Amino acid sequence: MASKVRKNYYGYFFVAPFIIGFLIFGLYPVYNTIALSFTDTTLMKAHGSFIGLRNFERLFADSTFLTAIKNTWALWLMNFIPQIGIALLLSVWFTSTRLKIKGGGFWRMFFYLPNLMMPSAIAALFFSLFSFYGPVNQFLVRADLLPQAIDFIRSPSVMRGLVVFIQWWMWFGQTTILLMAGMTSISVAVYEAATIDGASMWQMFKYITLPLIKPVMIYVLVTSLVGGMQMFDIPFLLTDGRGSPANSILTNNILMYMKFRSSQGHIGAASSVGVVVFIMTTFVALLIFYLLREKPVEKYKEIKQ
Amino acid sequence: MKKNYTLSTNIYRLLIYIVLAVILVITIVPVWLMIANATRSTIEIQQGISMLPSKYLISNYKILLSKGLDLPRGFFNSFIISSLTTIVAVYFSMLTAYGIVVYDFKGKKVLYNFILVLVMIPMQLSIIGFYQYMVKIGLDDSYAALILPSIASAGSVFFAKQYLESIMLHELIDAGRIDGASELGIFHRIMFPIAVPGAFTLGIFAFVAAWNNFFNAFILITSRDKYTLPMLVQTLRGDVYRHEYGAIYLGLAASVVPIIIIYFLFSRYIVNGISLGAVKE
Repeated sequence: MASKVRKNYYGYFFVAPFIIGFLIFGLYPVYNTIALSFTDTTLMKAHGSFIGLRNFERLFADSTFLTAIKNTWALWLMNFIPQIGIALLLSVWFTSTRLKIKGGGFWRMFFYLPNLMMPSAIAALFFSLFSFYGPVNQFLVRADLLPQAIDFIRSPSVMRGLVVFIQWWMWFGQTTILLMAGMTSISVAVYEAATIDGASMWQMFKYITLPLIKPVMIYVLVTSLVGGMQMFDIPFLLTDGRGSPANSILTNNILMYMKFRSSQGHIGAASSVGVVVFIMTTFVALLIFYLLREKPVEKYKEIKQ
Repeated sequence: MKKNYTLSTNIYRLLIYIVLAVILVITIVPVWLMIANATRSTIEIQQGISMLPSKYLISNYKILLSKGLDLPRGFFNSFIISSLTTIVAVYFSMLTAYGIVVYDFKGKKVLYNFILVLVMIPMQLSIIGFYQYMVKIGLDDSYAALILPSIASAGSVFFAKQYLESIMLHELIDAGRIDGASELGIFHRIMFPIAVPGAFTLGIFAFVAAWNNFFNAFILITSRDKYTLPMLVQTLRGDVYRHEYGAIYLGLAASVVPIIIIYFLFSRYIVNGISLGAVKE
C-alpha cells in the first residue's frame, strides 16, 4: 500500500498521451471549426477575413438548412422509436424465465450482424435493390403485386422510409443486446417477490424492469441521438449525394459536405453548419442526461409502488 | 386451469418464434442477396431473383477490374489503416484506463467524468476545422490524419476502464514492484497479458469502426491510389458501372464479407463486449 501512494503521480504519465492526443486531434479542431465559422475562408484562399455572425445569419435565412435540421430529427426519431420498441419487446422475450425462448444466442448473433456492415456498402446495396430494374421491382411485378415497376429512387416518401428502415435494420440488434444486459443484471428475486404478490407480466415490466434499466435506456438514447444527428453515409449514398429526391433525405452532415465541396469550397460556411449542429446536439444530449439522471429516492419510490 | 395456462403460454411462444423468424429473414435476405448476386452474371440478375449462387464470380471480378476499380489496392489500404488504428486505439486506451484504475492522482475523477461526457459529444462535426488544420500541417491526404486521432478515443477508454476494473489484481502490481519492475514495465509485462481478452474485444470494435469509416476518409483523402474500400464502394455508384450489376454486387460483397467472417469467428467476444462498454454507471 505504501508503495502505491508513493507512485501515484505516475498516473499522470499514463493518461498524458490521451490528454495530448485529445488536445491536438479533438479540442483544437473544435476550436478551429468555431474560428472558421466566423470567417469567409474558402479552399481557394487560405486566409479568409472575419465576417462576424454573417455565416450564421445566412444559414438561418436559408430554408435548405432548416429542411436539413428538420429531416435529420425526423429520420432519427422515426427510426429510434420503432428501434427501442422492438428492442424492448425482444429483450423481454429473451430474458423472460417464464417464456424460456430457445436459441437466444443464435437470434442475437444474427440480429446484430447488420450493425457491423459498412454503411456505405449497405446504402449502395439498397440503392441497387430498389433501383428501377432491381430485385424489389422484379419481385413485386412478377408476383402481380404491382402493375408495373415503380421508380422508388425518385419517390421522396419511399426514400425517407428506406433511410429509416436501414437505420432501424442496422441498430435494433445492438439496442436489444444492451437492453438485455440491463435486464439480466436485475435480480431474479425481485421478480419472484412480485409474482408472489400477484403482479402481472405487464406490471412487472412497468414497475420493475423499466425503472431498473433506465441507465441503459439513457445510454442508448443519447448515443443514438449523437449518431443520428451526424447521419451521413446512408442518405448520402442512397441517392445522388445531395439528399434527393426533393431534399427529402438531406441531413445536416450532407449539407455541411455540400458546402465544403462546393465549387469555391466554402469551409467557413461549412463550419457554421457544424457549429450549429454541434451546439444543438451537445445541448440536447446533456439535457437528456441530466433530466433523466438517476435520483436515488425516486428510484426507491418507483419500486415500492 | 393449469392446463389452460400452459396452452396460452405455448401459443404466445409460437407467436414469438414466428416474429423472430420474420425478423431473421429481414436481417439476412438483403445480405444474402448481395452475396448471391456477386456470383451471378448481369443477365442472370436481370432475369430474376435467386438466392442460389451461380458461377460468374471470376468474370464479375474481371469486369470490376477492367472498369478501373482497384479492389486489391482498396483492400490493402483499408487493411493498413484499420490495423494501425486498432493498434493505436487499443494500446493508448488501455494505457489511459490503466492510469485511471491503478493510480489515485489529483484530477482523476474530473478526467474520468470528462471522458464520459466526450462519449456524448458529436466530434465528427468538427471535421472541417480538422481538415483545414491537417492541410496547414501538411497531413491532409495522409493516413496519419486518419490513424492518430484514435490515441484519444473516449469510448474505448471507457470500455477499457470497465474491463480493467473487473480483472484488476493489485497484488500482482505490488509483486511486480517488489521485483523491481518499472511502472510502465508492470503495465506491459504483467497487466497487458492478463487483459488480452478485453484488448481483443476492444480491437475488434476498433477495427470494424475503422474499416467501415467513410466520412473522415472521404473528406481527408484525395489521391485515388489512397482510396479506402468505402470510398471505392462510393465510386461503384458512377456511370461506368451502370449496367454491370454482377460486378457492383461483387464490389459491395467484397467490402462486407471480411467483416462477416470476423464476426462469425469472434461473435462471442463481440456480443459480450457490446454491453460491457455501457451497462455499468
